[in-house]
Amino acid sequence: MKRIVDVNIPLGPIHPCFKEPVRLKCEAKGERIISAEVELGYMKKGIERIMKGRPWQEVMFLAERVCGICSVIHNMVFIEAMEQISDISVPPRAAYLRVIVNELDRMQSHLLANFSYCYTIEHETLGMYLLDLREQVMDELERLTGARVTCAYIIPGGVRCDIPRQDAEDLQASLDRIEGDLRRYTGMFENGPMIALRSRGVGILTLEAAQRAHVVGPTARGSGIAYDCRQNHPTYKKLGFVPITRPDCDNFARVMVRFDEVFQSIALIRKCLQELPKGVIRGGGVCKAGEIRYSGEAPRGELTYFIKSDEFGRIVEIQIQPPSIMNIEACCHEMIIGSDSIADVTSTFISADPCVACAER
Amino acid sequence: MNILQRIKNKVRSRSIHVAYVDVGSCNGCDIEVLACLAPRYDIEQYGIFVHNNPREADVLLVIGAYTPGWEEKLAMVWDKIPSPKAAITIGNCPISGCLFDRKGSFVDPPVKKHIPIAAEVPGCPPRPTEILQAIMSVRDSVFFDWEEEHP
Repeated sequence: MKRIVDVNIPLGPIHPCFKEPVRLKCEAKGERIISAEVELGYMKKGIERIMKGRPWQEVMFLAERVCGICSVIHNMVFIEAMEQISDISVPPRAAYLRVIVNELDRMQSHLLANFSYCYTIEHETLGMYLLDLREQVMDELERLTGARVTCAYIIPGGVRCDIPRQDAEDLQASLDRIEGDLRRYTGMFENGPMIALRSRGVGILTLEAAQRAHVVGPTARGSGIAYDCRQNHPTYKKLGFVPITRPDCDNFARVMVRFDEVFQSIALIRKCLQELPKGVIRGGGVCKAGEIRYSGEAPRGELTYFIKSDEFGRIVEIQIQPPSIMNIEACCHEMIIGSDSIADVTSTFISADPCVACAER
Repeated sequence: MNILQRIKNKVRSRSIHVAYVDVGSCNGCDIEVLACLAPRYDIEQYGIFVHNNPREADVLLVIGAYTPGWEEKLAMVWDKIPSPKAAITIGNCPISGCLFDRKGSFVDPPVKKHIPIAAEVPGCPPRPTEILQAIMSVRDSVFFDWEEEHP
């Protein structure tokens, strides 16, 4: 059969809506998108090649710089994998502090993703509100760890610094303020008629398609798949973690899942601060030889490290499977197809929160 | 310098359009550039407007350690910007490659080899205020005396 393609529309690599360079090639019939293809390769640095043969002290910092937005979880998964290899136990206070920092990082990442979505659908007011809220979360992260983005807080056998009592009280107070503001902004998003027109029923990813494409993270939970790696983590199990899902399968559901997860993170941090056990924050230990495959939940989905180390703690073999690869593929093969206009392509792409630096490494 | 040129200089240095291009970084500097838009730093109060169109831009922010995917393409983007123009690098990666410039990696820093750079902001990543300060310093040195140097 002859294929009728009216126009080929390339988007990117430099595009006002994309934070990172990625090229989307769309084929349109009239205004309707009939096929799309993504072209990566602008950010390939070869981090895994640099990591091989280096001691864990160096690979720890390299792992953090796989992705700048979700740097804490890359640090956490790498260090916890090394701990599993070498049988290093973590003091309970350090385990709770790890959860606090990880959830703060998730909050700022989700707020940034929702800012990008609001900016893409040209609702700049709400976007700026969310970006302002994100700055407050970054302040908390800076107060706790000492850096805004790449903080290297988690080390084998514990964490780098303790949380003083005054800082814990300040964190409680600012969580209350953030929650109050965010409740207002979530209401604005949920009840805005213009936002609903741009978001509801756009970029449908059905449950079957989501399972076929192996999507992870908020993209999967927006399509009704109740899977979250935090369910298997021992500290989160103690805190009684339950994943959030929405059955709507569209852009609106994905953004709302992220808003709900920010509220959930706030609740988790509060619970951690309440139950924070007393004791040391660093147990110490020596990294040994072994191999392991270990997963953790990044803000964008399941993140897996495969690590093989030798007896001196050097990394012999390492492979990283970041979440964005599956989400980007699902985006261009399932979600974008059938969009009613070109304007919906960028907003659908951003709603999956693609992280190109993660995907290409 | 006549009055028309003086007006041109003044107007040029008061209204700066910024485009940013990521040539292979970890994303950390990207989000710090985005944080400049936030109401706390409010980059637009200085007449600096961030959007991503090189053809309308005056200042190009280059982020990252120059991967092979940008071979020739970065120079093409630079040529598309109408003069007067200036390029600023953000972070350690464009200066030295930071920790990506090791044996086995694909990056080719510094970016200075490929396009002319007016200012460099070190840091991994730099704070939003430092990025803002760099753009402001370029505004006075490149755009304010453009008419005298290029009559």
